[in-house]
Amino acid sequence: MASKTFLVAQREYLENVRTKTFWLGIIIVPVLIAACVGVGALINKFKEVQRYTVVDLGDDELAERAEKQFRTRDMLQMFKLIADIKENAKNQSPEALRELGRQFEGMDPEKPTGEQKLAMFNWMQQQSPKTMATFADISASKKYDFVSLEELEVAELEPEAQQEALNKMITDGELFAYFVLGEDPNKTVNGFEYVANNKTDPKLREAYERALTKLVQNDRIRAANINSTVAAHIKKRVEFGQRQIGADGKKSNVEKSDIVNQWAPIGFVYFLWIAIFSIANLLLTNTVEEKSNRIIEVLLSSVSPTQLMNGKIFGIAATGLTMVGAWVGFALLAAWLAPVLLGGTGEFLDVLIPALSNISYLAAFLGYFLGGFLLYAAMLVAIGSVCNTLKEAQNLMQPVMMILMVPLISMVFITQEPNGTVAKVLSFIPLFTPFTMMNRAAGPPEVWEYVVTTILLIATIWFAFKAAGKVFRVGVLMTGNPPKLKEILGWLWKS
Amino acid sequence: MDHALILDGVTKRFGQFTAVSNLSLQVPTGCIYGFLGQNGAGKTTTIRMVMSIFHQDSGTISVLGHSDASQVKDRLGYLPEEKGLYKKMKTVDIIAYFGKLKGMDTSTANLKAKELLTQYGLGEWMDKKCEALSKGMGQKVQILGTIIHEPELVILDEPFSGLDPVNRDVMRDTILQMKKEGRTVIFSTHVMEQAEQLCDAMMMIHKSELAFAGKLADIKQGLDKGIRLEYDGDGSVLQNLPGLDRINDNNKSAEIYLKQGHDPQDALRWLIDHLTIRSFDLSEPSLHEVFLRTVEERDAALAAVGVTA
Repeated sequence: MASKTFLVAQREYLENVRTKTFWLGIIIVPVLIAACVGVGALINKFKEVQRYTVVDLGDDELAERAEKQFRTRDMLQMFKLIADIKENAKNQSPEALRELGRQFEGMDPEKPTGEQKLAMFNWMQQQSPKTMATFADISASKKYDFVSLEELEVAELEPEAQQEALNKMITDGELFAYFVLGEDPNKTVNGFEYVANNKTDPKLREAYERALTKLVQNDRIRAANINSTVAAHIKKRVEFGQRQIGADGKKSNVEKSDIVNQWAPIGFVYFLWIAIFSIANLLLTNTVEEKSNRIIEVLLSSVSPTQLMNGKIFGIAATGLTMVGAWVGFALLAAWLAPVLLGGTGEFLDVLIPALSNISYLAAFLGYFLGGFLLYAAMLVAIGSVCNTLKEAQNLMQPVMMILMVPLISMVFITQEPNGTVAKVLSFIPLFTPFTMMNRAAGPPEVWEYVVTTILLIATIWFAFKAAGKVFRVGVLMTGNPPKLKEILGWLWKS
Repeated sequence: MDHALILDGVTKRFGQFTAVSNLSLQVPTGCIYGFLGQNGAGKTTTIRMVMSIFHQDSGTISVLGHSDASQVKDRLGYLPEEKGLYKKMKTVDIIAYFGKLKGMDTSTANLKAKELLTQYGLGEWMDKKCEALSKGMGQKVQILGTIIHEPELVILDEPFSGLDPVNRDVMRDTILQMKKEGRTVIFSTHVMEQAEQLCDAMMMIHKSELAFAGKLADIKQGLDKGIRLEYDGDGSVLQNLPGLDRINDNNKSAEIYLKQGHDPQDALRWLIDHLTIRSFDLSEPSLHEVFLRTVEERDAALAAVGVTA
């Protein structure tokens, strides 16, 4: 008799897998995610170079020193650049750079020593902004482009006329922004301005601000005759080292991957949600269709309602597993391809991908997918069985949708407090168990919580199947208006 | 086994409503048996109980000698009144699927499905999806799905509805072929002529109760003979026929019953004077007439005990 359930499941699976919707579902989710990650990275990579200039109302010296200071933030880039030049023996590169390369013979571009950093800083300080800009061009890491007032042909104008001309350039889009430096930052910082029409991208302003602050602080320290060692000591910030307590009860350093691990469950909850939602929807439409085109009666003359219902649910669960399996495949493929495609720049991905391909996460994901799916499937198949049209079904489905919204809404909250009261309470409501426990994986919950919630979930699934079976048996041959909730409860009570 | 199907005192209720009441019935093996009755009389409910889609509240049903019909599901074939197919499935796949659900193995079912489609002139449609079929073709595919596993008892609910004359004949031949092969066929219909031509025996159910059951000759036994008339002219004068009891006028033909003591010979004379008579025949009442009378008598009886129609 079980083989009839299998036949129904097999047909259900094959028919679903043949539809275009299924393949769209398989492809569209990874594509969307790849698009979100990839487009973000690409936008950063190909962001338009922001041209800016500096108007110095005091002596021009400050502007030049600020620019030099600003450029030193490219220091790490410079190390990489000279290492690269050596490796590829780019002979057409400027003599100054090759000279620099010889100076740093044998250094590690990824981790320069403090001495090397200081040497590089001093060297960079000696270069003119123009030269530094050329180097930035070569390293292709240029995000901001300093243009001097001379180049903009406004150097000779009176201050007011000069700013008017610059304003026009900003309006015309020739210039991204300009800075106005006040007369003497050692006395007052009033009159320091950042003029730009873009208010959403503060990176240029913030970076320039940091550089200038550092410069001005040093000036002030010198003016106050404070010993530089003392000054450095005073300026030293208090930083907390992040530690965690591991399974062995000992403290250990918090790595980036630990933080990602804390957030990774969110990704899983999203996947779980999308998978359960789309698959359960398929089940609902499918049941309604079968009922509205009357094929159900032929089926019921060959199989029992229970066999039919179980067959449908298992067939569609298999469809869902295929979909989820394909997604996992895509994720692993991405993990393998990402370093190649993104050129190892994706530091975030480097830690994210191992978290995604973490075996225990995957196993938990599959387990909770099955549990969550079976529970919601039982509810939806019962709903589908009492409806004659999709419209009726959608109306009856609304409460289920509301329930499904809860895990989405509570998701971020639970991630931040995986062992909080709300998280714990939601874990013990079987409708939310798969989502919440997955969400809390980084907590992690205690073993007894896993055991108890799983038992609760399985028991609820069992009851849901029993109840759905009863509703299905009566509902599936009903025509006319869908029954009231009271009537449905009556069926459950009676049979 | 003498009887393919035996119902004994079967009752089915839906809430307050009694769909089938105390129904007893015997369908001999190897015959063609008709289920008659008005819409909503309880035919489909009875069929669904036989197919063990519903379970009776009381009474016993014995199908092919088993008291639990679900044990012999694989030996039954069922064509429901409302026909539906999976739109996206190929005709050959859906027929084979129905076969497999009845316990056939995959290769046999596929082979047989192809064979049947070819035999019934749908060979070209083998790889087409069901949504591409016309209504008649869809119905053919469905009946093929019903008989693919060579069932011993076939139940067809309204098999002729919606079919053109050619396909009606195909359906009729299919039914006759099954009888020839020794299978039992039960079908329900609203077309009395069809039942009269095809059925070896039949039953009629009226407002959930059995009205009559048995061989056609037995059912007609003892009923007064009526006049079968074919005529040309204005049939409205027939209402003035002296001694007229009841009449089923079809415009070109009519079935006439006279009151007790009136001679058909007198009626014939009167008719010749008023209409152009093409044929005149005195015979047993048609099944159509039996059906109408049964409904009328039973409704009157129910009304008398205070049950409204």
